[in-house]
Amino acid sequence: MIPLATAHLKGPHIDFAGLSPLIALLGGSVLVLIVGLLGSRWIRAQAVPSLSLGALGAALGLTIWQWNAQKSIVSGALRIDDLALVLNLVLIAGAACTVLLAWRSLAAREAAHGEFHALLLSSVAGMSLLAAAQNTVALFVGLELLSIPLYVLCATELKREHSLESGLKYLIVGSVGSATLLYGLAMIYGATGTTDFAGIASALSNGSLATDPLTLTGVALCVAGLCFKSSIAPFHQWTPDVYEGAPTPVTAFMAVTTKVAAFGVFLRFFDVALIDTQVSWGPALAVLATITILVGNVGALGQSSLKRMLAYSSVAQAGYMLAGVVVSTQLGVRATVFYLAAYLFMNMAAFAVIVARERQTDLGDSIGALAGLGRERPLLAWPMTISMLALAGIPATAGFMGKFYLIDAAVSGGYTWLGVAIVVGSMISLGYYLPVIAAMWMREAPAATSPNDASVLAPTPGPLPALAGGSSELDEDGGPLSGSQPEVLVVAVLAGAATIFFGVIPQPLFDLVHGAGSGLGLF
Amino acid sequence: MLRSYLPAIVFLVLGGAVGGAFAVLNSVIGPRRATPHKQDPYECGLPSEVKRGMRFGISFYLIAMLFILFDIEVVFLYPIAVELRAYGSYALTETIVFIVLLFVAFGYVWRRGALEWR
Repeated sequence: MIPLATAHLKGPHIDFAGLSPLIALLGGSVLVLIVGLLGSRWIRAQAVPSLSLGALGAALGLTIWQWNAQKSIVSGALRIDDLALVLNLVLIAGAACTVLLAWRSLAAREAAHGEFHALLLSSVAGMSLLAAAQNTVALFVGLELLSIPLYVLCATELKREHSLESGLKYLIVGSVGSATLLYGLAMIYGATGTTDFAGIASALSNGSLATDPLTLTGVALCVAGLCFKSSIAPFHQWTPDVYEGAPTPVTAFMAVTTKVAAFGVFLRFFDVALIDTQVSWGPALAVLATITILVGNVGALGQSSLKRMLAYSSVAQAGYMLAGVVVSTQLGVRATVFYLAAYLFMNMAAFAVIVARERQTDLGDSIGALAGLGRERPLLAWPMTISMLALAGIPATAGFMGKFYLIDAAVSGGYTWLGVAIVVGSMISLGYYLPVIAAMWMREAPAATSPNDASVLAPTPGPLPALAGGSSELDEDGGPLSGSQPEVLVVAVLAGAATIFFGVIPQPLFDLVHGAGSGLGLF
Repeated sequence: MLRSYLPAIVFLVLGGAVGGAFAVLNSVIGPRRATPHKQDPYECGLPSEVKRGMRFGISFYLIAMLFILFDIEVVFLYPIAVELRAYGSYALTETIVFIVLLFVAFGYVWRRGALEWR
């Protein structure tokens, strides 16, 4: 303590330009929280989402402003490079879609708008931090900043039991995952004596530390912890329940952005810090990837709830993406990042359609809600069709390019059998993606639930003060079942169009991810 | 490498053994003569009014949680206040940011009515 009293404590030099996207997100989160307290209900319901879109826009602009930066900031805790910036773009796009999907949602309304969007923005900030972390402490802080708001977001439909159950389950499983990861990080710190990724790498590269039991136990625990977060089998069991129970916009957010953040960590931590133990974790992760592909694809077969089906599908997709991590080559990094971007478009299109149908019918997220959609609302049916085909990996979609890239990476990285597993998994996946398309285009809409008939036969739920008297959900802006929702349609159409666009002309996306691969110092 | 952890492991084993021994020996050797008074939650004083399954007002939890939050914040402020001259302007700016965030949280909690007793 005595030397501290005499010398001035010098803080780390902080490069505020590099931190600016993060500051925009966190500042936006605080601002949104305050604005959520002011004004009338209607102003809140419109101003708060607009402000959070503004914050995301600012973060997007600042990310682009930082383009081509290659620097370590905050005493080397964070790395601003192409990988971090590209992942930032994907994260911000995913969050913006979520804000649009949640604009009229019950979840945002019940969580008083301000809270919902503040939690959303701080979660995105955590993900952005995670994508840039190159220090185990920053990694863990980012992970918790990501997770804790997400636990709450899952439970924001306060009056629905399943939403609360989903939040509780995610809290418990997520905490186990965090604790496991933290234990692993502590062991790696114990073995190498440093928290810095580059320091860990250099400690592991000389001497026998790379095969030390302490190091390997730490690596194994880290794998388990991160697998919990990115729902990789056999740590995926929470996924279907949590995805099904959470409010659909939150499910969309979770499905896309947590994957981005978790794979950002996978890439940076395993392919930079732990690269010298690759002989140990490489085969293990490859086996996990294969199990994940099989479990996810087989589990999704025969699911009647679309959210549950997409949950299992996201498990399978995580398995595909893990292949890019396993090979730990530049090509692998690029393929993973490419797939993450494609995955954003494919999933957002699907979830936007589910959100729209949940509000138009009373069938919730069951596959029956889509029956006859092709004739009735082609603008919703097409994005869903494109999304299903892309998730299955049909050519001329971004999903095909992504899988192609991943298989290429797996084969040239010496894991041909993993490439075969991806192909087999995609073939199984047609068994649950195609029924969705068939329901939309080949089945008739059930008469009672078609919105046109509903307006004639059944009383519209909105303007019925006699029935909806005390219920605050129904008397505000028309209730959950009615009203047009242009912003959901915009998300669906844009995401669907992007899926096709990057499937036909993938070059812009290839260029974008090119730098992400070369920044990590891999072959 | 693992050698340096030996004292910690010895400590854990010894601590577990001694603690476990006391807990087990007590229930094995100790006499057990139950009287109604001994079964009470409190052996002395008035007969207990507390029933099992009694429900606690949720406001207690909310207030307690908020108290801990703000309490911990003050605990952080105290050492900085004592050593501020030594820490210099960096610590001061950090602390100001910290307090501003604290006040935002306070204002939020206040306006949302978490401090009202319900």
